[in-house]
Amino acid sequence: MTGLVLVMSVSALIWVGLFLYLLRMESRVRELEKR
Amino acid sequence: MDLGVPREATSATAKERGSRLAVWKLLLLPWMLLVLAGAFLWAPQVQGLGDETYVMYLHIPMAWVGALAYFVAAYYAITYLARHRVESDIASSVSAEIGLLFTVLATVTGALWAKAQWGAYWNWDPKQTSIFLLLLTYGAYFMLRAAVEDEDRRATLSAAYALLAVVAVPFLMLIVPKFVAPSALHPAPVVERQMNAKVGWVLLAANVGFTGIYVWMLQLKIRLLTAARRRESIL
Repeated sequence: MTGLVLVMSVSALIWVGLFLYLLRMESRVRELEKR
Repeated sequence: MDLGVPREATSATAKERGSRLAVWKLLLLPWMLLVLAGAFLWAPQVQGLGDETYVMYLHIPMAWVGALAYFVAAYYAITYLARHRVESDIASSVSAEIGLLFTVLATVTGALWAKAQWGAYWNWDPKQTSIFLLLLTYGAYFMLRAAVEDEDRRATLSAAYALLAVVAVPFLMLIVPKFVAPSALHPAPVVERQMNAKVGWVLLAANVGFTGIYVWMLQLKIRLLTAARRRESIL
């Protein structure tokens, strides 16, 4: 059970990290497009 | 099909499209977290796979996105050959790039699965051999792009290559491993026979989520390259 919770938490963190990275890239690209 | 290739970046329609798409992009994170919860807490493990069931929710969507990206690359290759718009060349190469990335990820997750199930990361199983050939095929696409300096010639040659390469995709990903040389080791027959409805739903949701991530990545890279190109031409 502990292993399952650990794997789930790490997976969720990876998704959150990827999502934040894509959001950051989105704002960077918008900035570049405005220039 | 319009996956975000910018035509007039400053037009009102482009701006409206940009803000409209933001909603589905924001929904991607809760969607994927739901998929995660569904995989671990709702759907049962597939009989005969055990804990490796969880790898399946990554492996299959990654392979799906890889194949989809190659077909999108071929679509933009056709539009390039028909209209000679540089945006189509950018879209085609970016899609092939993302396709290669997801094929590598599918190969790695497949190898992890193989290690757990068969005791070795690589067995030259028909599916592994055909995905290796697919990696070589699209690796050669990028070698071709790197080898040609002239922009128009590079775009034309790589569009023609992308069209030829995509013919191999259904053969290497489906027909050869499934019908010509059915894999003795790959668990697809086990999964198909014992597919629980819940497992099917989670898998479908994971495929949708991964497709969303692919479209987002594709748009970002195309917009980035187009903006960089525009800046270069101004400077």
